[in-house]
Amino acid sequence: MDQKTAGLNIAIFFCRQLDANQDKNRRAIEKELGLRIRFFPLPCSGRIELLHLLRAIEAGADVVYLVACPEGACRYREGNLRAKRRIMFAQKLIEEIGLEGARIEMVNKTAEMPADIGAIAMELLARDAKVSISPVRSNAVASFIEK
Amino acid sequence: MKADSNLKSILANNNFAVTAECGPPKGADPGVIRKKGAVLKDHVDSVNVTDNQTGAVRLSSMAACAILKQEGLDPVLQMVTRDRNRIALQSDVLGASSLGIRNILCLSGDHQSFGNQKEAKGVFDLDSIQFVQAVRRMRDEGRIIGGEQLSDPPRLFIGAVANPFADPFDYRVVRLAKKVAAGAEFIQTQCIYNLKRFAEWMRQVRERGLDKKVFILGGVTPLKSVRMAEYMSRQVAGMDVPDGIINRMRGVDPKDQRREGIRIAVETVGALKEMEGVHGVHIMAIEWEDVVPQIVEEAGLYPRPRTSEE
Amino acid sequence: MITAERKPMAEIRAMLAPYRKILVVGCGSCVAECASGGEKEVGLLASALRMDAKIEGRTIEVREMTIDRQCVYEFIDQLTGIADRYEIILSLGCGAGVQAVAEVFPKMLVIPALNTTFIGETKEPGLWVENCRACGDCKLGYFAAVCPVTRCAKGLFNGPCGGSKNGVCEVDPDSPCAWQLIIERLENAGRSDLLEAIYPPADWSRQQGKGPKKIVREDQRSEG
Repeated sequence: MDQKTAGLNIAIFFCRQLDANQDKNRRAIEKELGLRIRFFPLPCSGRIELLHLLRAIEAGADVVYLVACPEGACRYREGNLRAKRRIMFAQKLIEEIGLEGARIEMVNKTAEMPADIGAIAMELLARDAKVSISPVRSNAVASFIEK
Repeated sequence: MKADSNLKSILANNNFAVTAECGPPKGADPGVIRKKGAVLKDHVDSVNVTDNQTGAVRLSSMAACAILKQEGLDPVLQMVTRDRNRIALQSDVLGASSLGIRNILCLSGDHQSFGNQKEAKGVFDLDSIQFVQAVRRMRDEGRIIGGEQLSDPPRLFIGAVANPFADPFDYRVVRLAKKVAAGAEFIQTQCIYNLKRFAEWMRQVRERGLDKKVFILGGVTPLKSVRMAEYMSRQVAGMDVPDGIINRMRGVDPKDQRREGIRIAVETVGALKEMEGVHGVHIMAIEWEDVVPQIVEEAGLYPRPRTSEE
Repeated sequence: MITAERKPMAEIRAMLAPYRKILVVGCGSCVAECASGGEKEVGLLASALRMDAKIEGRTIEVREMTIDRQCVYEFIDQLTGIADRYEIILSLGCGAGVQAVAEVFPKMLVIPALNTTFIGETKEPGLWVENCRACGDCKLGYFAAVCPVTRCAKGLFNGPCGGSKNGVCEVDPDSPCAWQLIIERLENAGRSDLLEAIYPPADWSRQQGKGPKKIVREDQRSEG
């Protein structure tokens, strides 16, 4: 796989409305990357909670994506707009402890993107990485070794 | 030292009164006050001293009034309820009278967030109407708030302000009526640029018969420039500078704008002289006190009448 | 409700610096409603504290607990037997909650994670506005249920100042002029007469007369 984010742990929260076969479509990449990728389906991106995002980073994700429907195309009208505000708030929260806001990113699906969540994940992994390994993870490992 | 308020005598004798405003310095130099006093002395009946206007720290109004008094002027002590509770306000009212200050203007004051002490605690223990009422009772009944008797009451001519240009418009005359009922004897208004609206307010004032119960002095502030006109129009709430005035200022060369501002002020004074129920003008030339004599002369209000006590 | 906002992380971090075992305590009442100190916010802050420590290579132990009311003994009592296992309690209660917890655990340090801001209402999702100053002498009956003490920037009792323009306050153009509202509501209710009355100076002793206020209700007191 052409993976520019090699070595990074990725968490992908996504709206189930994007892909009716999400369960099946993500199996291949989950198998390939194992614990390095985690998918979290949501009934709507608007159901994302700040705590989900922070816990994902705390659990060792280097990048957290929220994949949502295009703006204006939310089944529940403004779920993805509310999600956008929460993403911005979460970015501020992690910036307060010195992490890059870019570790949490909202991706609104476009017409050019595939409809299959597995394929979307591949596209995200193929992007240039904006961040490196999270200090939450790296230092946790270091302190574990010191013990 | 004159025993009574010159302003009161002027108004009681049916003269058209002229008062001016003097802003104290942001420093301890009494010379600034004396100089401003000397400029104004012959051309006005009384001089208001602002009380930390816009919430910025300045030499105290009480001290500046005492200095003007020494110089033979009749000061009007402005007191705001923003900075002092009822204990301090009533104490200063007694103090002012003891210094020979004979006029007081009671206001709530500009909110502290506009000044240079934005973190200050705004007191507002009393509002301006409650303050007027308290001063009136101190003077007439010799009693402070709560009823305790004073050994000697203060001698003060009691004033308040009115802003016919703030909202809601129809309530403005009600508020004036409340100030009169509370005991205000004279009123100085916000700067008048919109004469039409002021005339409408005066019509409501006459309709309620308030012009027979209180002396009303119309506020006049000469514009220095079109920029000042625009600033007042846009940035100062409760200030109404119509486009006609702004365009008139814009229509003249920048170096002649001061002259035009004076001309507008003189015309406004002229219009107020003719308006039924208006008993005088209050000229607030902001940091431009030396223009006041010219406005007074050009408006045909010089020389000022001499009251018998002098 | 009592509203509050979380303090900046830097301030919380500085207060916690000497401690490694931290009990983070939320409150399920007012501060949960205004999304500053409920269970979710406890989780967020605890997570942030743990990550912050990890980033700096420190080890800390954080326990999260949220009780229904942080200002009432029976609820605070849920912390008994737990609190003393920690070096410090980080409270996400209002100022009353912080102090009540401290009283129950006299030997423990309790520090606030929130700045208690005002008594207010939830105006819209994500918007809370102040509308009561707890003056101890409610005058809303005279002012058409719009509090001039709280909602007028100068706390004026006798009408709007000269800074009321187009229905908004000159001090904060995002706030309606309280007096504009009072006038409209009294006029609509046919009580313009109240607008002509002079309201006397307030009795502030009911708010701050002799230090902290107390309410005593004999019917609710215990024996002895």
